[in-house]
Amino acid sequence: MPSASDHIVGTGVARTRDRGVVRIIKGVVLLAGAALLVSWPSLAANPYLVSAGVVVLNYAVFASSWNIMGGLTGYISLGHAAYFGLGAYGTALLIQNFDIPSFGAWFLAGLLTLVIAIPVGWAALRVRGASFVIVTIALVLVLALIFQSLRGITGGSDGLIVPRPFPDLLRPEHHATFYYIYAGLLAVVLAVWFVIARSRFGAGLKAIREDEDKAESLGIPTTRYKGIAHALSAYFVALGGGLYALWFGDLDPIMQFSVLLSAEVVLMALLGGVRFLLGPLVGAIIVGTALEYFVLNFGETQLHLVATGILLAVVVLFLPDGVLAGLSELVARFRPQATSIREMTAEELQNQRVSEVRPGSGVDADPTSSERSEQELAPVERSPS
Amino acid sequence: MTATVEPTSPAPATPSVLSTRGLTKSFGGVHAVRDVSVGFLEGKVNGLIGPNGSGKTTFFNMVTGMIKPDSGEVMQGERSITRWAPHRIARLGIGRSFQLCRVFPRLTVLENLLVAVRPTSLASALLGAHHAPTVARAREILARVGIEHLEHAEARDISYGQQKLLELGGVLMADPRIIMLDEPAGGVNPALIERIATLIRELNAEGRTFIVVEHNMDLVMNLCDHIVVFDRGRPIAAGVPAEIQSDPAVLEAYLGV
Repeated sequence: MPSASDHIVGTGVARTRDRGVVRIIKGVVLLAGAALLVSWPSLAANPYLVSAGVVVLNYAVFASSWNIMGGLTGYISLGHAAYFGLGAYGTALLIQNFDIPSFGAWFLAGLLTLVIAIPVGWAALRVRGASFVIVTIALVLVLALIFQSLRGITGGSDGLIVPRPFPDLLRPEHHATFYYIYAGLLAVVLAVWFVIARSRFGAGLKAIREDEDKAESLGIPTTRYKGIAHALSAYFVALGGGLYALWFGDLDPIMQFSVLLSAEVVLMALLGGVRFLLGPLVGAIIVGTALEYFVLNFGETQLHLVATGILLAVVVLFLPDGVLAGLSELVARFRPQATSIREMTAEELQNQRVSEVRPGSGVDADPTSSERSEQELAPVERSPS
Repeated sequence: MTATVEPTSPAPATPSVLSTRGLTKSFGGVHAVRDVSVGFLEGKVNGLIGPNGSGKTTFFNMVTGMIKPDSGEVMQGERSITRWAPHRIARLGIGRSFQLCRVFPRLTVLENLLVAVRPTSLASALLGAHHAPTVARAREILARVGIEHLEHAEARDISYGQQKLLELGGVLMADPRIIMLDEPAGGVNPALIERIATLIRELNAEGRTFIVVEHNMDLVMNLCDHIVVFDRGRPIAAGVPAEIQSDPAVLEAYLGV
């Protein structure tokens, strides 16, 4: 799967054929996965499974949109449920109060959320790290309170019924239709991420993720870049939320403006791998399916919360780059004559250690430049293959 | 106060390309930089030395916009750039390196350079990949600093010395007229120090002005045309290397005589 940072140019000749094989395998897996995703509504044995598919795709759209900011800039927002809620409530309220057709309202709600997200991002992105996370949590909590207390408009905790966009459709067809709409939106979000990750703008965002001050000192307008990434990300999350409103038909401030929802989505993105295009999708499939399973079988208990927490801890501790990174490392390890970039450089480092003198032991300095010593020492250091 | 030298305007035979007026910064009760008015000479290698904690890095960070001064001015030529955002200062052609070396660890060596290129417009930045001539120029610079064979390695995987060279390469990629280096020789082996010094001389010969903070006295005395000495947040001396070496205030600050 394409990663965020392997896009510049092809590598050495020796690796080209090897890479070709891997690419073919990846292509086959991708095609099979895409075929399964597209044909899921017809394969599913009952309408519930189709609706579960919609839930998973909803998570996938959310997580992939979140990843436009989270994965590229490294700013971990727990506040994106705010934009999900704004998209959902915005769609519902525009339909109810202004008689706008369902999908027109959906589109407008997305734009309105985008407009709201710009100043919010400008304010929130002034702080980094834990402070940023806390600001984003506060955003969700504040909006939850507002939407609960505005009973006259939002219905408060009684909930808000959203008129159905396709009143003639039966339930199974309703689910299948929304399944494909979600799939289309997901495709758009993934395309946007893909284009940004390969653009110079994306390179700037990744620089911000790695070292923001350094990026700024090299002339990257970090505030503007972060703001754009945040607004784009919020926009697509809002579109996901609006679709949710149209599909589910019933909104509750507690459920939409929920830090837990944000946290689950962040878990999905981290689990799949935020540096990968398809990481959040893979994470959404895993966690989304697991959540459905827990709710279905242990719905009375809070077991799914415990499971979410444990999984989040495991991912952060043992799979910081996600399952996709873990998989590609595994592939690299079992490939014959494997020479991944990482291993090559480890070798170089070893060679370096022999030739280059560490600071502090300056007496026996070897004046040969690093590249010469690398060539000289490489045959000696390389293990026989 | 024991120091009596008053180097408010250090030997301005050539115009100051970058200067400060009364620059001041405190952190809590600590006066990191106090009322500093100095100028740096165009086309020269300017040295900035002083004991640890004398305010050199704070001064650097104020000049490049990374921290805002409490009071005072930073001037590029006749223009005040005080409180400008760092990226705007960078775009004026003032590049800098960081103390203890900072690279983008999980970008490749080549990408580390490419991010320093300013896109012509936001639209082209959003949609476009890097142009072939830009990539070619990045490779040239990598070759110049001597790490072209590592272009596909992630920056976190190369040695500290190579990271130092990479950081310099990143600074060069933006084609700055003024290059500010914070301890370029810190923590690297003697062979590499020589290499970095040679690079600085070559780049200076191309007409680039350098401002170098450094603790390695041999390097400073060899490399610099003009030196400003800081102690306790203030300049205590300024002049050519020979003057600095025999300056009593400098000796006192360094040796506590």
